[in-house]
Amino acid sequence: MIEVSSLCKNYGDLAALSNVTFTVEKGQIVGFLGANGAGKSTTMDILCGCIGPDSGTAKISGFDITEQPIEAKKRLGYLPDVAPLHHEMIVEDFIRYVAELHKVPSHSIRVRVDATIEKLALGDVRKRLIGNLSKGYRQRVGLAQALVHDPEVLVLDEPTEGLDPTQIAEIRKLVRSLAGQHTILLSSHILSEVQNTCDKIVIINKGQIVKQGTYEQLAAAMETGHTYKLKVARNGANALTTLGRLGLQNLKAGSTDGDIEFAVSATTGDQILDDVAKAVVDGGFGLRGLALKTRSLEDVFLQLTK
Amino acid sequence: MSSIFAIARRDLKAYFASPRASAIFWFFLIFMGFFFNNFIGLFMQMTQQAPMMGGQAPTLEQLLKALFYNLHFILLLVVPAVTMASFSEEKRNHSIRLLQTSPCTPMEIVLGKFFAAASLMALVLVASAVYPLFTVTHGNPDKMVILTSYIGLLLLVCSQIAFGLWVSSMTSNQFMAFLFTMFGLFLLLILNWMATNLSGGGIMESVLKYLANSDHLDAFFKGTLSVGHTAYFLVFTAMFLFFTNVTLDSQRWR
Repeated sequence: MIEVSSLCKNYGDLAALSNVTFTVEKGQIVGFLGANGAGKSTTMDILCGCIGPDSGTAKISGFDITEQPIEAKKRLGYLPDVAPLHHEMIVEDFIRYVAELHKVPSHSIRVRVDATIEKLALGDVRKRLIGNLSKGYRQRVGLAQALVHDPEVLVLDEPTEGLDPTQIAEIRKLVRSLAGQHTILLSSHILSEVQNTCDKIVIINKGQIVKQGTYEQLAAAMETGHTYKLKVARNGANALTTLGRLGLQNLKAGSTDGDIEFAVSATTGDQILDDVAKAVVDGGFGLRGLALKTRSLEDVFLQLTK
Repeated sequence: MSSIFAIARRDLKAYFASPRASAIFWFFLIFMGFFFNNFIGLFMQMTQQAPMMGGQAPTLEQLLKALFYNLHFILLLVVPAVTMASFSEEKRNHSIRLLQTSPCTPMEIVLGKFFAAASLMALVLVASAVYPLFTVTHGNPDKMVILTSYIGLLLLVCSQIAFGLWVSSMTSNQFMAFLFTMFGLFLLLILNWMATNLSGGGIMESVLKYLANSDHLDAFFKGTLSVGHTAYFLVFTAMFLFFTNVTLDSQRWR
């Protein structure tokens, strides 16, 4: 549905994108993850035909955005990082205007506008000036603008930026509900957002794709074994020395006394955990907890973009 | 086609949603009123003095011609104010993305913006007809001259708007757009008088004089409709609309 292949873009001497390649399959939600300035917005602007690439191609539903921009844009809804709104218009008129711009047939404009207003719960504000709306509502009008012509592909650039937690939850729910009918590319620098909403993740850093795949794949690729957290009741320092004899990797004291972290390599296997537990119990340190420390996407992200 | 209409309608509404349209109407009509009042006073004075001095009394056509000449100067300030925001404002508040990502060609966008500004200025011209109509109700001027003068003014306004759109498409700063549009339009007006100094006579002088719009406009104010002078304004308009189209299209590649 979205095919991006070897995109390059330079701003003067600065290489904003180099050789960016990824695809988004029909009905998927793909998270486009990167720090500020990593090249997310540039990629999306190219994908939506706002700026041209130096080389490489971007295709929307099989239509090249540079070769057949009109056909490609018909199938595309875009919410840029700053929602493109006319503040002097009322919500309903604005959505109708966008529908006309996108050449929605005149007989179905009314139906589409009403359906969009209902879907985004904008009924209460449909007669209000956009300039007078709160940020959350404006963001929803921005989404309505991207959705009114029922596009196959939706590109959302940091849709929850600057919203309060309730609004963030609403927008996420909404985006989730759009999956299936639309193919969605969603950018963010908030990791939990991507982890919760997306089927696949593409991580970009300094204009290059560093990793892509499902969250599980990404996490698995980063694993060099499992990290465990051990908690003992007393004599944390002694416990550490005792455990030192077992040949554990990355053995270190945690943040508070009695917390100990260690890693078990894949080759050693988890049987060694029995030895750890036995050592703690025999030493009289008092076993209070032994748990697998899961990797958050944050760890994966930090490691990849280091 | 439908998107040209959609853009034009939205832009025209936006002029009236902000104080911009009313400010333009006020400015244009009040200054035209000043000129009209002034000329009528002068006209009455000269009509009374003419028999005593033994000269020809001035005609209403002369009065109107003087009035329409002065409109050109008001337009130098009004047209840049109309066109300055066309693209600059959209770039500044990022709503230009809406047009860029819609399935419209750059030419449709340019034409939409053009028709919005041209309709606004046409409405201003219609409102301004109150002054010439005053002379019709209180005197007997040649109505055809009024009509051709207005056709000329409309063509002039269209060419000025096309130029203004081109300037506006190149900057995101409204003030710069205003300033450069005014500068360019002023140059077009005075080119006729500067031609001799700039070129030192010969073929260059006639080329420069042809480029200036005052001579072409003069023909309409005299009550003649000629293909040549109409073509000048139409070609000028088309050319700058095309330049705007090129500017919009090329901005994607920077």
